[in-house]
Amino acid sequence: MNSSYILRRVGYGLVLMLGVVVLNFLLIRLAPGDPAMVIAGEMGGATEEMLESIREEYGLNKPLVVQLGIYVGNVLQGNLGESFFFNQPVASLIAQRIGPTILLVITAQILSILIGVFLGVIAARKPNGVMSGFVSVFATIGYAVPVFWTGIMLIILFASVFPIFPVEGMQSVRLRGADVFTKTLDIAHHLILPAFTLAIIYLAQYARLSRASMLEVLGSDYIRTARAKGAAEKTVLFKHALRNAALPILTVAGLQFGNLISGALLVETVFNWPGMGRLAFDSILRRDYPTIMGVLFFASAMVVVANILTDISYRWADPRLRGKS
Amino acid sequence: MTDTPDYKAESPAREAWRMFRRNVPALVGVVILSFIVLATLYGTFFYAGDPYNVVWAPHERPGVTPEFPLGTDYLGRDILAGMLTGGGPTLAVGAAAAAITMVIGITLGSLAGFYGGWVDNLLMRITEFFQVLPALLFAMVLVTLFSPSLWTIAIAIGVVSWPQTARLTRAEFLRIKELEYVTAARAIGARNKRIIWKVILPNAMPPLIVSATLTIGIAILFEAGLSFLGLGDPNVMSWGLMIGANRDYILDAWWPVTFPGLAIFFTVFAVSLIGDGLNDAFNPKLRER
Amino acid sequence: MTALLDITDLKVTFNTRYGQVTALDGVSLHVNAGETLGVVGESGCGKSITALATMGLIPMPPGRIAGGSIRLAGEELVGASPARMRAMRGADIAMIFQEPMTSLNPVFTVGDQIAEAIMLHQKVSADRAFKDAVALLDRVGIPSPADRARDYPHQLSGGMRQRVMIAMAVSCRPKVLIADEPTTALDVTVQAQIFDLLNEIQRDFGAAIVLITHDMGAISEMADRVAVMYAGRIIEEATADDVLDFPQHPYARGLIDCIPALGREEHALKEIPGVVPPLHLLGAGCAFAERCEHANDRCRQEKPLLVNHDHHPAACHAVEEGRI
Repeated sequence: MNSSYILRRVGYGLVLMLGVVVLNFLLIRLAPGDPAMVIAGEMGGATEEMLESIREEYGLNKPLVVQLGIYVGNVLQGNLGESFFFNQPVASLIAQRIGPTILLVITAQILSILIGVFLGVIAARKPNGVMSGFVSVFATIGYAVPVFWTGIMLIILFASVFPIFPVEGMQSVRLRGADVFTKTLDIAHHLILPAFTLAIIYLAQYARLSRASMLEVLGSDYIRTARAKGAAEKTVLFKHALRNAALPILTVAGLQFGNLISGALLVETVFNWPGMGRLAFDSILRRDYPTIMGVLFFASAMVVVANILTDISYRWADPRLRGKS
Repeated sequence: MTDTPDYKAESPAREAWRMFRRNVPALVGVVILSFIVLATLYGTFFYAGDPYNVVWAPHERPGVTPEFPLGTDYLGRDILAGMLTGGGPTLAVGAAAAAITMVIGITLGSLAGFYGGWVDNLLMRITEFFQVLPALLFAMVLVTLFSPSLWTIAIAIGVVSWPQTARLTRAEFLRIKELEYVTAARAIGARNKRIIWKVILPNAMPPLIVSATLTIGIAILFEAGLSFLGLGDPNVMSWGLMIGANRDYILDAWWPVTFPGLAIFFTVFAVSLIGDGLNDAFNPKLRER
Repeated sequence: MTALLDITDLKVTFNTRYGQVTALDGVSLHVNAGETLGVVGESGCGKSITALATMGLIPMPPGRIAGGSIRLAGEELVGASPARMRAMRGADIAMIFQEPMTSLNPVFTVGDQIAEAIMLHQKVSADRAFKDAVALLDRVGIPSPADRARDYPHQLSGGMRQRVMIAMAVSCRPKVLIADEPTTALDVTVQAQIFDLLNEIQRDFGAAIVLITHDMGAISEMADRVAVMYAGRIIEEATADDVLDFPQHPYARGLIDCIPALGREEHALKEIPGVVPPLHLLGAGCAFAERCEHANDRCRQEKPLLVNHDHHPAACHAVEEGRI
């Protein structure tokens, strides 16, 4: 892997993030009404004194370009503004909540890829078999179900019918003083329903995609070569075919990350998961714009990081791309 | 049936239509969608009821009181009335948002693909930028900043969803502009505008039509998500709003959230069956797998 | 003496959208140890199907072995268990394919791919197998084999990749090596090198080679005996010299006439009119009748059998009747 490629990729990611900062700035200024009002939060009932101090801090009386400079400068110093509702810096608000979101999103991503690819590979063995039919029906259904509604249905199911999974929050209050191991188990227990809810949609898509990709790969000459060597069917499927079929799956996994974060927003709201999505939702109801913009910034940063990791792993997985720029 | 040889070549559109007509899942999709559209358009003629009025005791179970077949919600409002009036806005926003998505996506994608060079570079960088923003979150921000109405919601959904359409259009343009008939059109001196609109775009339509169909489905899910979060037009009943309004009571009553959810599901399901059917119809070779 | 590979009356059918078609209709072939059998014919005549059937690699469904037998050193392969077939594939019987560009897996190094073939059939460590792979690469004439073993297929030229395929195929010293158009995708200069290599390999390893080709030039260089195939049947079989010098069947004559030769005038380079008929349109008569200038009513109604005439076996009424 050449490091200059990685550097270039990271540099481009930083440019994209600068773009997000500029967008945030423009959104606040373009919104109808007094920007100071917007920043203070329409629900906040800000005093004239407070508005004046905001104008001072953000330089709202100065030309737009200067304002932009001040804003970008602040962000570069890690200052994303102050949430007037929580009376806390936005950066620290998000720092408390980004962990649960990453946990939820990564778990859902892993679940959906593992299960989805497995189903797709099984289905590809018999293109007209029962499993293939199941995969394509399941994929269409998974695509059409609103993720928040799946969550609600699962809550109804597991709260009243099979009360085996917690349906709310991330940790049990009664375990506050417990040891780390018990706490970890407790979080995993709480994670099951939200992660699975989020995974279902993508799981279905990965199953369909990997079925199609495997079918294409299974028709290629090198698969015949592998069989001619005397490789067992399992080796042919999971070693020779899957390594190649995984390339388009990897691409989609990277592209899906943004959607996954959007989905996490809804799932966090439904399951009261204490992450950024929940924070975004609460802040939007309170018109707490600095917090909303901070969430948008960090969520975009997660997508940028995911894209960089995808690109790098794609190059690692496909030797034909190594060493090229 | 006698198989008389047909020497007239069938037009691609006719052939696609013939394939589509034989596709059972796609026809099921058409039937479901037609039913839903008719019910939301004309349902209130047969079942008059105000979805906002408290008409009965709260949380009446479905099938108990004949006047309210689907029961009532936490306030005692008629759920069936809500279902019939709530579908219109959802479908309208879905269609409008998909139209906006397609207009933005096709315009930018065709310019990038046709002109290439710095135009392509610039437009693709913009596209990548928009793909970095998590769509639902960005839409939430837009809707909140510019106060929710059916139009702002549709525009917000369009503004966050176009990148994929743009990429698809660009890819199609890149492919088609190298083909002989485009060169031929250039050779007879056709202007760029004419080549884009009359020569390349019609040939890029099949995948774009499929994509438009799927975009409607995604836009409906978006609208439902926004309404569920309480970010829809507060003055308009919609399926997502019904679910959102009743979500604090799901453990007391399953039906006020289940029926609107099923309605959203079946609508998007039907749309995607149609989309898959169109895809198969435009790519008959794929079906022989 | 029993042949090393003995195919008798092999029938293979495929289910297609035109219904069931017979791709191989009673093919009989044999190869002795150390011998090279050439199988010639145009594309679609069943050469590759015969090879794949021998390897047990016919996709089933839609394919099916409807009858006949394939014996390798006396062991019946038709109906052998999948596990037994796997154990023999690559070890006792190996195959080189037509497309070296796509026949190697793009995501593994060529060394690993050869080592895999070794480890599938021999109880050796991964290290040992890789060293053996390097030695094989050296044997097939690849320069600096230790470095090339760590290359991916896309980093090698077509000729190099075919050498890798050959190294992989002979890695377990198979008794029978099937080469399906091994040089079709390569440059003419590289073709000769590959044929030389195959000849050397045969000398060193003592394998029987089944060379499938449509190129009579390759036959004259490589083959001891030749079987000519047309539309799923063997229509002529003899030593290479006999077939090349005294072709009997009009189709075989046509193939020989297609060889450009020194001293012959250019306009004499003939071409067989028409194409191989699609399998689902085969009628009751000789499959070549439609393209044959000697065809009569009998040819169109009755399938000729492969029987000995004046010189050597050919399946042709015209030859039998002495009309040509």
